[in-house]
Amino acid sequence: MKLYDVVPGLEFMEEEDLNQSPAWFLDGTHSIPPWTPMFGWFWINFCRHGMQYGAETLSLPTVKGWDWRFKDGGGYLCLLLVDSDKEKAEREKKFREAIRPFVENYDGLWGGYVKEMLKRYDHLKTLDLDAATNLQLLENFEETIDTCRRMWEIHMHMMYGTYTPYVLFEQLCKQMLNIDDTHPTFHKLVSGFDNESFRVDRKLWEFSVKVKDMGLQGLFAETPSKDLKAKLEGSDKGKQFLREFNEFLDKDAGWRMERMAEINVPTWKEDPAPGFETIKIFLKKGGGFDLDEDRKKNERERKEAEKEVLAKIAPEQRGWFSMLMKVAQNCSLFSEEHNHYLDLYTHALIRRSCMGLGMRFAKLGAIHHPEDIFFLIPDEVRKAGINPDKFNLKPLVERRKKEWEQWCRQGNPPAIMKEGFTLEQAVGGLVQSMDPIALKVVVGSMPAVKTELNADLYGTCGSPGVAEGIARVVFKDEDLTQIQKGDILVSATTSPAWTPVFGLISGVVVDRGASLSHAAIVGREYGIPVVMNVFTGSQMIKSGQRIRVDANMGAVYILDK
Amino acid sequence: MEEVFLLHPEGGPVAEKWIFGFDELGKEANDLVGKKCANLGELTKIGLSVPPGFAISVDGYRRFMEETGAGEEIKRYVKQELGEIKNVTQEQEASKVIRGIIERKEMPLKMQEELISHYRKLCVRLQKSDIPVAVRSSGAVSMPGQMETYLNVRGPQDVIKKVIQVWGSAFTARAIAFRFQQGLSIDWAPIGVAILKMVNAKCAGIILTVIPTTGDTSKIIIEGNWGLGESVVGGEITPDSFIVDKDTLEIERAVAEKTKMVVYNHKGTTIVDIPEEKKKLSSLTDEEIKEIVRISKQIETHYGVPQDIEYVIDLDLPFPENLFFVQARPAKSVKKKESDADYLIDLMTRLFK
Repeated sequence: MKLYDVVPGLEFMEEEDLNQSPAWFLDGTHSIPPWTPMFGWFWINFCRHGMQYGAETLSLPTVKGWDWRFKDGGGYLCLLLVDSDKEKAEREKKFREAIRPFVENYDGLWGGYVKEMLKRYDHLKTLDLDAATNLQLLENFEETIDTCRRMWEIHMHMMYGTYTPYVLFEQLCKQMLNIDDTHPTFHKLVSGFDNESFRVDRKLWEFSVKVKDMGLQGLFAETPSKDLKAKLEGSDKGKQFLREFNEFLDKDAGWRMERMAEINVPTWKEDPAPGFETIKIFLKKGGGFDLDEDRKKNERERKEAEKEVLAKIAPEQRGWFSMLMKVAQNCSLFSEEHNHYLDLYTHALIRRSCMGLGMRFAKLGAIHHPEDIFFLIPDEVRKAGINPDKFNLKPLVERRKKEWEQWCRQGNPPAIMKEGFTLEQAVGGLVQSMDPIALKVVVGSMPAVKTELNADLYGTCGSPGVAEGIARVVFKDEDLTQIQKGDILVSATTSPAWTPVFGLISGVVVDRGASLSHAAIVGREYGIPVVMNVFTGSQMIKSGQRIRVDANMGAVYILDK
Repeated sequence: MEEVFLLHPEGGPVAEKWIFGFDELGKEANDLVGKKCANLGELTKIGLSVPPGFAISVDGYRRFMEETGAGEEIKRYVKQELGEIKNVTQEQEASKVIRGIIERKEMPLKMQEELISHYRKLCVRLQKSDIPVAVRSSGAVSMPGQMETYLNVRGPQDVIKKVIQVWGSAFTARAIAFRFQQGLSIDWAPIGVAILKMVNAKCAGIILTVIPTTGDTSKIIIEGNWGLGESVVGGEITPDSFIVDKDTLEIERAVAEKTKMVVYNHKGTTIVDIPEEKKKLSSLTDEEIKEIVRISKQIETHYGVPQDIEYVIDLDLPFPENLFFVQARPAKSVKKKESDADYLIDLMTRLFK
């Protein structure tokens, strides 16, 4: 039996693709560990589409978005540059008009998009997966594909549109005020905003208070999160708590997963254990909801910083400068908020639709287990969609699964380059493109190795400060419970679902990231140091080691080796 | 606030006369004294009262630049030290240097004498020594840029200093950037100056002789607040709004609860709370509204197109002498805010170069 491509048309083909672009970068933030075939298909097709859609609708003068390829579960990307000056000039004209709404009507623009997506989500959720006919399940799946496509269009239109002014703001702060994006004043300017992720965390904190009020604290302390649901069902109080908690999951928080860019882990709605973990963290920490106080403080500091900065700007320049500052602040806010409304929510609904089909396929014998659906791609799902009883997809699943396990074992190289082409050249090309997403998310700024510091790892500053503590290397949600007050979180990257532990820890070290990554934004809100782009932190640092992070210098020291 | 400099050629003889009364000017004097002054002259000509004052023509700028050597110094700097302007920092640096050159110069004595003599005459006319005046820039070409205006300037020495500073403000970073982008010369930017009595404003605001949202020209809309007009022009507060039918003079009132107003202080202007008892009161009386409408219609007829007019009502004078007009220009639907957005979009576009 032939094993089909995972992403037909967009599989990495060395000879052809290296001719097109001499360097392809692995999207380490999202595709480590490697994607399942189903999720890879969604990402490669539609993230790619969204970036080109965003660059096209905004008519970015220098770049037409990114091209993506799929290779062994990894997403590889390169930029599509605008070549001729004539075309640049033409795009520039349209860009002026297309970027205007981001300056003049950000709230209207983003608010409209959120509404549009929520409407789509609501419609997808109306289908009762157990009662649905095969045809309805398939229709729901097709609608999900369409929703994902639209999500990425909105995602990248917003992201290009907000990151462009953000990059300008950063540059002008450097030029006019001599503060760069690692400067405390800069961080103050873009902190102190409420957003949807924080609102969910606040609710979870309220549930931790409820746990105490209902006398369930003991039960929470002694029961592992995965068994808590069953335990709670054993008492009337527990049942009452669960009822309220489920309602909250339904309405607000159920549609998120531990991994933002994958669908093979349960949503909170399926398995509320990660939510319980967070409640436990709040119980362990005690006290009020720290963000309330932090936010008030940050808001105050932000306003002071705004005043301080504006006082240094010539009066005639203040009008546009404060306008730009507002747009840059919106960008910081969007950066954090879009995770909730776009990626997490859509991916949770892809999972929901896939699981509906998976259960039906398993029941009718097309596959063994419902989760096997993640080793198929949409064309194969369509093949058996209406009559799952007539097709045997098991051998296909088995071979794909074996292959996927192999991908996970071997890992993917950070870049694939034509012979003789160096990483410096490749990164130089990215920087030259002025693609704001490449600058702020993919490349970030490369850490400078300052040998005089004699540090063990060098990175860039995501949030300023210095801290010393026990390292806690975290890969999955379950690892979060290991964290003790004052620890330093070390990980490949952090997910929005991890926000609550930021109130507990004293610092963060992440392998990849830039000033608009989740860890940096949340770190700034909590006022703790974040060192990012250290590349090998989660491999070099072992849990339990005492480490010191000096985010201002971008240095990490392992104190007991 | 929007005009920047006069397209006045370099070279040629400098006229002897460089200070004018508004009654000597009209719209044809645009190139001589700038838009603001020409406008005030034109208003005077058609019989409206403008705040008492006088205008400094572009020849004042030229004489100052030639006699003090500032013009040569600026030229030398631009030619020898200033390369191609690539970013905001360079614009700001150039602005700093050039304004420094201008502001460090003394005004030639002969010019000082003439300027002081006109200022004294104004004091005599208003029967008050060291009368506080506003020193405003008056350029001829509109662009999204702002130049300096100095308020509450008192006494001859301060007037001299502020006139020099207004000349210097033709070299703000944005003005330099604009001229650079337009391929105009960077080192030559003559502007006029208006010197006007500070009005002790009871209330002020704007008049549009067309409804901007609908284009309806049968009505006039007046927006006003207590204190100076800045609070209304800036759009930060909700002002009183009166829509008046040009024929029937029927008034449609929307008296707002006004919380803040702009007043003069020793340095310039400041925002203060409006006293409780005045918050919900109409800032204009019916009598004042009718007079404003009558004159606005006259201005519109004179110019032949819908007008955007700024008015102010003086606290010290009796009706109707208390009504002054400080600005009249063709009404545009564009708001002031958009010029900042335009500039910002310019900067973003340059990011990709």
